[in-house]
Amino acid sequence: MMRIAAAILSAGMALSATAASAQEWPSKTIKLVVPYAPGGYTDSVARITARYLEKELGQTVIVDNRAGGGGIVGSDLVAKSPGDGYTLCICSVGAISVAPVAQTTSYDPVKSFKPVSVVSTIPQTVIVNPSLPINTMQDLVAYAKANPGKLSYGSSGAGGLMHYSVQLFDARNGTKMTHVPFKGGSPATAAVVSGEVNLSFTNMTDALPQMEANKVRALAVTSAKRNEFAPQLPTVSETVTPGYSVESWNGLMAPASTPDPIIAKLSDVLKKMAADPEVKKSMAVVGASTVFTTPDEYKAQIAAEVEQWRELLKEIAEKKN
Amino acid sequence: MTDVFAQLGHGFAVAATPINLFFCLVGAICGTLIGVLPGLGPVATISLLLPATYALSPVSAIIMLAGIYYGAQYGGSTTAILVNIPGESTSVVTAIDGYKMAQQGRASEALAIAAIGSFIAGCIGTVVIALLGPPLALMTQQFASPDYFSLMVLGLVSAVVLANGSAFRAIAMIFLGLLLGMVGMDLNTGEARMTFGLVELSDGINFVALVMGLFGVAEVISNLEGTSVRIVNKMRIGTIWPSFSALRGAWGAVLRGTALGTLFGILPGGGATIASFSAYALEKRVAKDRSRFGNGAIEGVAGPESANNAAAQTSFVPLLTMGIPTSATMALMVGALTLHGIAPGPMIISRQPDLFWGLIASMFLGNAMLVIINLPMIGIWVRLLAVPYRLLYLVIVVVCAIGVYSVNNSSFDVYMTVGFSLLGYVLRKLDAEPAPLLMGFVLGPMVEENFRRSLITSHGDPMVFLQRPISLALILISAALLISIMMPTVRQRRVEVFQE
Repeated sequence: MMRIAAAILSAGMALSATAASAQEWPSKTIKLVVPYAPGGYTDSVARITARYLEKELGQTVIVDNRAGGGGIVGSDLVAKSPGDGYTLCICSVGAISVAPVAQTTSYDPVKSFKPVSVVSTIPQTVIVNPSLPINTMQDLVAYAKANPGKLSYGSSGAGGLMHYSVQLFDARNGTKMTHVPFKGGSPATAAVVSGEVNLSFTNMTDALPQMEANKVRALAVTSAKRNEFAPQLPTVSETVTPGYSVESWNGLMAPASTPDPIIAKLSDVLKKMAADPEVKKSMAVVGASTVFTTPDEYKAQIAAEVEQWRELLKEIAEKKN
Repeated sequence: MTDVFAQLGHGFAVAATPINLFFCLVGAICGTLIGVLPGLGPVATISLLLPATYALSPVSAIIMLAGIYYGAQYGGSTTAILVNIPGESTSVVTAIDGYKMAQQGRASEALAIAAIGSFIAGCIGTVVIALLGPPLALMTQQFASPDYFSLMVLGLVSAVVLANGSAFRAIAMIFLGLLLGMVGMDLNTGEARMTFGLVELSDGINFVALVMGLFGVAEVISNLEGTSVRIVNKMRIGTIWPSFSALRGAWGAVLRGTALGTLFGILPGGGATIASFSAYALEKRVAKDRSRFGNGAIEGVAGPESANNAAAQTSFVPLLTMGIPTSATMALMVGALTLHGIAPGPMIISRQPDLFWGLIASMFLGNAMLVIINLPMIGIWVRLLAVPYRLLYLVIVVVCAIGVYSVNNSSFDVYMTVGFSLLGYVLRKLDAEPAPLLMGFVLGPMVEENFRRSLITSHGDPMVFLQRPISLALILISAALLISIMMPTVRQRRVEVFQE
């Protein structure tokens, strides 16, 4: 009995302690975990965000790269960190919406985190090697249907977004293309340039420079709307696959136990950040669009994405049987 | 051609401004320091210093960051030669003969030839980028998975040559390395292999943890064993400059190492490490008296050290001409450029001529600075060995631990180092050398990746390895090498060579 009372008492004290700390948050250095290696696209977004948070919150924000397992290691670390507002994450769609469906993760994409806001989005671009007689999305579907399994596509690895977006495309169009995994999106894009694979659904960041130099032919973007950096490209949805939408996002997330006042404060800062012209300019260099969502919108988006990939996997599994 | 020189002249005008000279020097000094500290590599350092470059112009920033990278290749040989602990993965093979030279009182000679070889290789590598960058980049585009597979097979066959003991033990070590390399996520299915459910192992075993354990800490353990006074204390410092005859002996090795390094540096996937390993193997193949290898052969230092530095320069080619990073460090350079508002890609040379030619010119200046920094330091480094080992080893272990931790900010990797140091100690007791193990570990995953990718793209036809001319040539060379190792007459010689 005494023990239970003591537990309740200490829990109460802990609660009041976090409430007090939420008042004066942030009073010390904030750690912004990036679940990927330094130098990548997510890392760049995180460093831009860290710079802005530092300015607005008046506290040092350090970027802590915890790469491994396609983002699972770092995301897991954040999910298990104390929710005091001093450990945050620039998470990405791969480890949050795809990995928990495709593999086993010890965190739950919806329950283990408190999402704050999507910071940036970036569509995939459908690129093909220019030697192929494929100039439009319609050509691509026709060619793939006429030659089942002959077209090969490069991805950043099995179970990554670059793999699943094509799986979704195949499932919706009744096509079948051969998957060739690489170690990361950049070598997969290089393989389209050299002709080792025929095509790839590549991140806009990797695709843009090669498109400008005419090393690859871009056919469409995978997002629901056309993209500001390549407005001439149609969407996959408006050409061959109505309703098709795959977008890569990076967003700020906190451990599930983080007090709501801290989330609200962060949300305010990120709302300002999304309108900041300097930030927009830096994001544009990476090929990313600056975005703001409320925590609730963000949570709903993750839940919807998890559902989409779960459905797809079920569909693929049923076809195999 | 005159066009190239005009542009290079423009590059020197950019690189020789006081501010860029200053940051080139800062990069070179930082690079030398982290190179000397075992485990602490350019990736961790560059990502740490990245925020500090925000205030600089993009050209100054990239000049400094590049300086850190190739500077680390200079510094990496220092601890390999002096205390048998490679500062960088590219210096692993340098330790084999470099440390023997140090034990014979020829530490200064080894350090000097490493610095001079690095300087020559760095300059030649830079000339190659300036003159042939874009055409070479196009050439690497001709390399597809089957060609990489055959190249890696050649690497594995020559790893047998690396060994100084019995060929049987060398092969066993290569297979142990291949096995360790299998740990991690299967690329084609995404399934975890031999990870025991640990997410930390899903990207495979950390290379730095493996090297620091097998070489660094295992070396410390065996030195502390018993009460034997360490040989280093008896070492002569000697003159800094290598003798004329030593230079003459190393000359060919420097040039061969440079050629190999220039070539491998351009190819994706740990080019510099493979370059140094194969340079060592090549030196041993071409030497008249192979018994000198493993006993302080100067070519065994000159070849690999030249190779890793040439590779460090030419690994910028794919990045600067096509915007494609070929290693973790180069990916970081892409990140640095994008944070400075420049998207690297095939257009970078025409759009950012200041950056491209300024960087190349700075590489000449940086290499000159490095050799000037490093030669006088040799005396200081060698004197460091006079520090009693009971004090020195503490520093070594702590620095190794920090270095391993800094790679992924992961304490799990530090525990792995503890495990591998025990393995390294056991292997020492069994007279099994760790260098072939590392070669298997590095090449294994690449062999598998390229083999499976070749078969996917060829729709299961194994003839693809013989149909492509590059792949066929490499396979024939591997076969010839294998036969020469197996042939009875040669084997007779091998027995003499290996069992001295």
